[in-house]
Amino acid sequence: MSAPDDAALAIEFNVFASRAGLAIPPDRRDVVFAAFKEMRGMLPLLRQPRTAANEPANCFDILSVTRSLQA
Amino acid sequence: MSALHELSIAEAGRKLRDGSVSSKELTKDALARIEAINPKIDAFITITADRAMADAEAADKAFAGGVDHGPMQGVPYALKDIYDTAGIRSTCHSKLREHNVPEHDSVVAQKFAAQGAVLLGKVGTHEFAIGGPSFDLPFPPARNPWNTEHITGGSSSGSGAAVAAGLVRMAMGSDTGGSIRGPAAYCGAVGLKPTYGLVSRRGVFPLSYALDHCGPLSWSVEDTAITMDVIAGYDPLDPASANVPKPDFRGGLDKGVKGLRLGVPRNLFANVTGASVEALAALDAAIATLVDLGAIVEDITLPDFDQFSICGRVILLSEAYAVHEQDFKTRPLDFGLFTYLRMTLGAFLTAADVTQAFRMRRELTVAVNTQLLKYDALITANSLVPAPAFANVLPSNLTSIPVQTMPFNVTGNPAMSMPAGFTSSGLPLSMQIVGRAFDEPTVLRVGAAFERATGLTAKRPVLAS
Repeated sequence: MSAPDDAALAIEFNVFASRAGLAIPPDRRDVVFAAFKEMRGMLPLLRQPRTAANEPANCFDILSVTRSLQA
Repeated sequence: MSALHELSIAEAGRKLRDGSVSSKELTKDALARIEAINPKIDAFITITADRAMADAEAADKAFAGGVDHGPMQGVPYALKDIYDTAGIRSTCHSKLREHNVPEHDSVVAQKFAAQGAVLLGKVGTHEFAIGGPSFDLPFPPARNPWNTEHITGGSSSGSGAAVAAGLVRMAMGSDTGGSIRGPAAYCGAVGLKPTYGLVSRRGVFPLSYALDHCGPLSWSVEDTAITMDVIAGYDPLDPASANVPKPDFRGGLDKGVKGLRLGVPRNLFANVTGASVEALAALDAAIATLVDLGAIVEDITLPDFDQFSICGRVILLSEAYAVHEQDFKTRPLDFGLFTYLRMTLGAFLTAADVTQAFRMRRELTVAVNTQLLKYDALITANSLVPAPAFANVLPSNLTSIPVQTMPFNVTGNPAMSMPAGFTSSGLPLSMQIVGRAFDEPTVLRVGAAFERATGLTAKRPVLAS
């Protein structure tokens, strides 16, 4: 998937801001947009092939979180 | 004999119990030191002198009556200003809560009070534990005692500065992406992010429910262990509290590392843009010291740092924005600039982004814990640079400083930062020790062995001497 260009990102940025009801001050827009662009560029890392074993969970006991490996 | 402020919690405790020092003497000394030094470093934003003297008097009376509530009795300490304190303002370092005075203590504050500890006051934070270092807030940012032109790291900025400067032996911090370990690294302190769920967060202002941890910054590994013994414990009213037995935090401090298996996830930090040569050399030297002490050290591979980073950032920003959503819509300019710039990004994430982040979190947690089936602990980098100068921390480079604490907020494992050396200009460098969930004793054991071998935690900044 190719990264969107700045014009496309700007449209996306404005849609997000509008939906959230945010009026971003003009003097802050460039730096917020730059941070958005940087974060947006990393989001594809979240989308790797995964199975049901990666169901979100909040249990960190070592035996619990590695139980699929021990079954 | 050490000056009073140089006594560790353990040393002060022994002197309080043999009668060679009183809590009032310790407290007066600390208050005088705060008065003299705090204006240079802005660590404390609220000093509770009357409360402290009352606490000290009560502790001395208890000792005189043969009553001993525990190791913190009579010992001065401080709380990050996101911890609720009954009748004492708790501001989150923000204009939005500048006049907030809670009715109840946070659970952690209750635990210290139950032990008879002495509350010296509230220390500064990055606004809402995320936005700083900022000069547009009601209180100035804390400054690094090793060089006041440099930042302390955040968000437990006042905690790091206060401990390093010898204003207090221990100050509580919180850690959502590295906010205990970052200031510990930059200020040359020991900072422990405990296992997720081990310390109650009730009464502590949330940044990210899934990633928030409470923990101490202190001068030494032993003081860290003592503090953990006070604050750890199940709290059924904190939804994330784990109902597990309290570990024996101090029991392994003298056991050394001979025969322990330590993994080094070198792929996380070996080729990072902007990493300091001195920081990497200090980490390598620390690893060599552990080998000399008898540990079995092997390189391992974890998922790339960027995966931990984006996973943690998406969870943190989405939850933080949700906490503050109403204020962002109605009074956004009451937030400091750095808070605004960082937290606004939470409005730019989709539900799918957040769900994928939580799925990824599961995957990353399994990856780390799979290694910890084979190794007793991991040794890795914390910050890959020393504390930057204020002048070099700009809105445009907020995310470019290479700090590698987020992986263990994502996984929930205990992780401790401790000094690993100093730069040629005298700024502290650090390493991170990571353990199995609820196995803080092994993390502390490794840290204690390293501390004994190097003496690095005993070095104090000139400002404080």
